Amino acid sequence: MIKPELLAPAGDLERLKIALKYGADAVYIGGPSLNLRANAINFTIDEIKEGVKFAHKLNKKVYVTVNILLHNQELDSITNYLKELESAKVDAIIVSDPVIIKEALSNTNLEVHLSTQASTLNIEAAKFWKSVGVSRIVLARECTREDIKEIIDNVDVEIETFIHGAMCAGYSGRCVMSNFLTNRDANRGGCSQICRWDFNLLSETKEEIKGDKPFTFSSKDLSMLKYIPEMIDMGISSFKIEGRMRSLYYIATVVSIYRKVIDEYCNDKKSYTYNKEYEKILRRCANRDSVPQFFDGVYNSSCSYYNGRIEVSNQDFLGIVLSYDKDSHIATIEQRNYFKKGDLVEIFGPNHDTITYKIDEIIDEDNNIIDIVRHPKQVVKIKVDNVLEVDDMIKVKYM
Amino acid sequence: MFKILTIPNSIDEINKTSNLADGFIIGIKDMSVNVNFYIDIKGLEILNTISNKEIFIALNKNMNNSDMKLVEEILKKLNNYNIKGVLFYDVGVLNIYRKLNLNYDLVWAEEHATTNYNTINFFNSFNVKYTYISSDITLDEIKSIKSNTNSLLMVNLFGYLPMFVSKRHIVKNYLEYFNLKDNSNTNYIEKEGKTYPIIDNNIGTMVYSNNILNGIKACLDVDLDYIILNSFNIELDKFIKVLKMFKSVNKNNVDEYYNEINGMFSNVDCGFLNTETIYRVKKND
Repeated sequence: MIKPELLAPAGDLERLKIALKYGADAVYIGGPSLNLRANAINFTIDEIKEGVKFAHKLNKKVYVTVNILLHNQELDSITNYLKELESAKVDAIIVSDPVIIKEALSNTNLEVHLSTQASTLNIEAAKFWKSVGVSRIVLARECTREDIKEIIDNVDVEIETFIHGAMCAGYSGRCVMSNFLTNRDANRGGCSQICRWDFNLLSETKEEIKGDKPFTFSSKDLSMLKYIPEMIDMGISSFKIEGRMRSLYYIATVVSIYRKVIDEYCNDKKSYTYNKEYEKILRRCANRDSVPQFFDGVYNSSCSYYNGRIEVSNQDFLGIVLSYDKDSHIATIEQRNYFKKGDLVEIFGPNHDTITYKIDEIIDEDNNIIDIVRHPKQVVKIKVDNVLEVDDMIKVKYM
Repeated sequence: MFKILTIPNSIDEINKTSNLADGFIIGIKDMSVNVNFYIDIKGLEILNTISNKEIFIALNKNMNNSDMKLVEEILKKLNNYNIKGVLFYDVGVLNIYRKLNLNYDLVWAEEHATTNYNTINFFNSFNVKYTYISSDITLDEIKSIKSNTNSLLMVNLFGYLPMFVSKRHIVKNYLEYFNLKDNSNTNYIEKEGKTYPIIDNNIGTMVYSNNILNGIKACLDVDLDYIILNSFNIELDKFIKVLKMFKSVNKNNVDEYYNEINGMFSNVDCGFLNTETIYRVKKND
């Protein structure tokens, strides 16, 4: 059994470090150009270099998305950009336009992964891309387990699949509703997520067909938690978590849960049991319901998300540990959400079990004792007997 | 001078327009998207009734493994008919085609990806002779592509434009979830006074633009090999009028025809021919 790579998204250096610390084997990031999250902050070349250095010290990897569909005017800039990425020592680029594959393989030593934007769903397509020179294919999210298995069994190429996160309503690359409705180019990083909008649905004769909630394309999120052992046994090389624009807390939580499941199964397959507590934690940290989607061939209304745009804003993340003094047992915390004296919280981190803790004395930066931490990013000190580490996180204790 | 292909709604429409069109794009049942007339794999003989026309077959849905046996069968069977080419979206179709010695050519029809000449030349190097140009790029970009490729270009210049394809049954799911009944073949979704045709069939869901593209001016601006007129959701008599105008357009009448087409429909625009999409709303600091 080969242990698959756990691949996490990172929107900036802080999230890159958190993802790797919390158990990701690799991260994927957007560089300064040619990626599909044009409106995210994205990394400068210097930041990519720093991220790569950080990852390589941990023996982990950094992939850079170069996955837009090129227009004529971008053609001249590709080679220089790819050379910059090569000099930053990134481990691979994630690409959908074949010209970038060709340029990368002809002019650099970069490893090339085919993006899910290419919507690879079958053996013949996988063979084609392999023949062109890609070393890994990120399969389309519409693949069933049979598709994935057959591709792995028939094509000698690494296979990466999504295991968690938001879903497109349409085939990747085949939705340009954003272009038409907002003039923002979906295939060049400008997607304005029209699939999350509400519409009126009309009949052929233009009469309104009205359900209890408005019509939408919106899909529930993907969660493959239950299927991880099966997917490991199938021989998938890399498990990808969606969400380069997700928060620090989301990344830490999702990465750490999948890290545990992968390790628990790979370390002792026979005694592995599904842990419902993990499912509960993932459900709390998402803002939409999640289901396995196409993997088991079910993509009916159970996968649709008819909740308008009322998405729960998660308030569970209370703070992050900035430092811990082992002698005094004082943890310095930066606040992320309101908490107060007497709250029962949990502290989790990459290197220790989750600790349940009742907030006792809180001291602010001026050494005043306070009862409530209400200001965003307020720095406070609390006493915690268990040894904590920088970047441990404090969250609400679920009852 | 360009040739005119249409995406017809029926064999009847093919018969009624065959004196105006140079060819037709036809689908295969359950294997094609964004076309309006589908033939059954068992009924390919109907192709023999369309004589002296260039026939292109759309085999352009996203293909799962379970489709690939049928893809190979269709590609082989089509070799017995006088067709000009097969439109593909999924490169799996290309990979099978490469193994077979077939009489017809391929059209790279990855509709939103055919946006630059180098990628077109990439597929051209795999003997893909034609490219169905993206409807999301400007006329200037099309001109630049034309100057930098040997691929024969097809450009959609009239009709509703495809803007979404999904495997999901998005309309059926909504009806089922809220226990609603409706048997429309084509539905519409409405937002801010604009309506967009939406079709949910065996393959999944397709959505078209709110406006009808009127690109008649463009066909004189660039030396295109093929222009495509799509009759989806357009009354046949009006479509025939439009077809006649495209057939006889020249420098002297183009403005008149342009205005006439605009006057025939309440929802007409030039798509992205003169409008560049944006993709970076805010720049990195």
